[in-house]
Amino acid sequence: MPVYQYILRRLVLTIPLLIGITLIAFVISHAVPADPVTANLGQKAMSDPEIVAAFRAEWGLDDPLAVQYGRYLGNLVQGDMGRSIKTRRAVLEDLRAYLPATIELATAAILFGVTVGLIFGVLSALKRNSWLDHIVRVISLLGVSVPVFWLALLALYIFYAWLGVAAGPGRLDVGMTPPPHATGLYTVDALLAGQWNVFFNALWHLALPALVLGSFTTGVITRVTRSAMLDVLSQEYMRTAHAKGLAPRVVITQHALRNALIPIVTVIGFSYGNLLAGTVLTESIFAWPGIGQYAYRASTSLDFPAIMGVSLLIAIIFIAVNLVADVLYFSLDPRLRAQA
Amino acid sequence: MSAVSTASPRPSTVGAPVRLQKSAAATTWSFLRANPLALIGVTLVIFWVVVSLTAPWLVPFSPTQQSIPDRLQPPSAAHWFGTDQLGRDVFSRVLYGGRLSLPAGIAVIVIAGIVGTIVGALAGYIGGWFDEVLMRVTEVFIAFPTIILAMAIAAALGPSLINAILAMVVVWWPNYARVVRALVLSVKSRDFVEASAAIGTRRTRILWRTVLPNCLAPAIVLATIDLGNAILIFAGLSFLGLGPPPNTPEWGRMIADGIEYFDQWWIAAFPGLAIFTVVMAFNFIGDAIRDALDPRLRKTL
Repeated sequence: MPVYQYILRRLVLTIPLLIGITLIAFVISHAVPADPVTANLGQKAMSDPEIVAAFRAEWGLDDPLAVQYGRYLGNLVQGDMGRSIKTRRAVLEDLRAYLPATIELATAAILFGVTVGLIFGVLSALKRNSWLDHIVRVISLLGVSVPVFWLALLALYIFYAWLGVAAGPGRLDVGMTPPPHATGLYTVDALLAGQWNVFFNALWHLALPALVLGSFTTGVITRVTRSAMLDVLSQEYMRTAHAKGLAPRVVITQHALRNALIPIVTVIGFSYGNLLAGTVLTESIFAWPGIGQYAYRASTSLDFPAIMGVSLLIAIIFIAVNLVADVLYFSLDPRLRAQA
Repeated sequence: MSAVSTASPRPSTVGAPVRLQKSAAATTWSFLRANPLALIGVTLVIFWVVVSLTAPWLVPFSPTQQSIPDRLQPPSAAHWFGTDQLGRDVFSRVLYGGRLSLPAGIAVIVIAGIVGTIVGALAGYIGGWFDEVLMRVTEVFIAFPTIILAMAIAAALGPSLINAILAMVVVWWPNYARVVRALVLSVKSRDFVEASAAIGTRRTRILWRTVLPNCLAPAIVLATIDLGNAILIFAGLSFLGLGPPPNTPEWGRMIADGIEYFDQWWIAAFPGLAIFTVVMAFNFIGDAIRDALDPRLRKTL
């Protein structure tokens, strides 16, 4: 099966998944005891039935759930995710404003996780049962055990407040003007505008949160890389490659790692979605103005349209990234293409 | 959960055929001797279980007693881990924290495990469109990153201990459903199941008495491996203010308190260390178990 046909089939299969996701997001926010009226009107306003009725009418809370869902879906197809009860702006507009900061952070974290995880994992598999392997094993287990919000605080305390080597909270130093808006990613925008001082400042601010956020992913990728490499290294074609006199470096990079990459790609796709979710726990600590902070504030004020918007957005990105990973997997593995 | 590790660093005893005379205790002991990390893990788990059970007799102060004149004190002989913004003793609160986090994590895993086992077993055993529908449903749940879905549910239900557990169960059961379904599918075609059908046993009886018991061991192993993760997510929900109410000594919430008092590092540092050691203990044990598993099983988990 050619790749484009595979992509098409996967896209079609994604549609019921997307409908299911909107349904779950909708049910959670509408069919549960929590009342958006109590959450968003003060005590005083609550005692006035007219204000309550006006609020319910304004947000269409009196219609049957099926009608509300239908309206929600109809709007969604047109790119309308509703209006945030708290910020009173369109949810899509809010998300568009907050998303770039999160994408920048999550991407930096995955780059860190993949680089370190691949190196550690490959070395660990090659030097199996050596002291290096054991140390890497312990480090990666610690990485998946540490609460990320605690690590964030600790890192800020040690590297910012105590040692003074890391940048403080926020995306840039106080008083520095953000680069002209192009992508919303400060590092990229600064490069595009040729503002080197802004670029290095943004990078400096990005480093610590990305390292903290990437700790869990690094642990996961290290473990998967090690196990995938060990699987491949025990194959007979590895012995053949060595026997025909190839340089060890070629055998490892061309024969072993390339084949080991297949399961790793899937895990990377999966990890990226989890990183987006992890930002909810770290962004508040680093005062990082992304969807994580937005989601947290939305949850505590039961701002339903906003909660649904964030959950949907993250789920959609999660599906999209996994789709890309699957397509990559499909094109990397000729056996799959032959089977299908 | 796919194979995270394929090789054990040392020859382990569990995967190999165990001699019949060997007692369970002896097997466990030789397993732990061969896996120092697992030994550390088990020791830490025992430590936290004992501390949690005996906390009321161990703590020097009540974990909820406020004392404004003593607020924000650094660690000292009187207050080993210092005091927080309301003058509560951090050491006492950390010791009490395990009384919430451990049972909460176990509750999530047990309830989600039971729901997931029932759904997965029915899906795998009945098959057909029933299986198809249930598996599509689990896919939708899995498409949400865990903490996001749990956060949305917990926020909608209202912040409380029970609701946080409930939210996590809703997020967690599909994982077990998928694993148990896969196990049931592989057991279903085994000879002894067909033999049972051949002698005329009713289908429901075959499922509950013949197929399911053969799937339980791996499901329980998966649950053990997952426990650390459940405790981590629970702490995350509490940290976001979606767990037990403010005055409760809960580790995640204590860390949230510490954000506002950044210079008083001890408020957040010690409860975080508690979460870290507990989760690490379960991950050490889980990693060793995974290593020792039969390779075929390892693929399923």
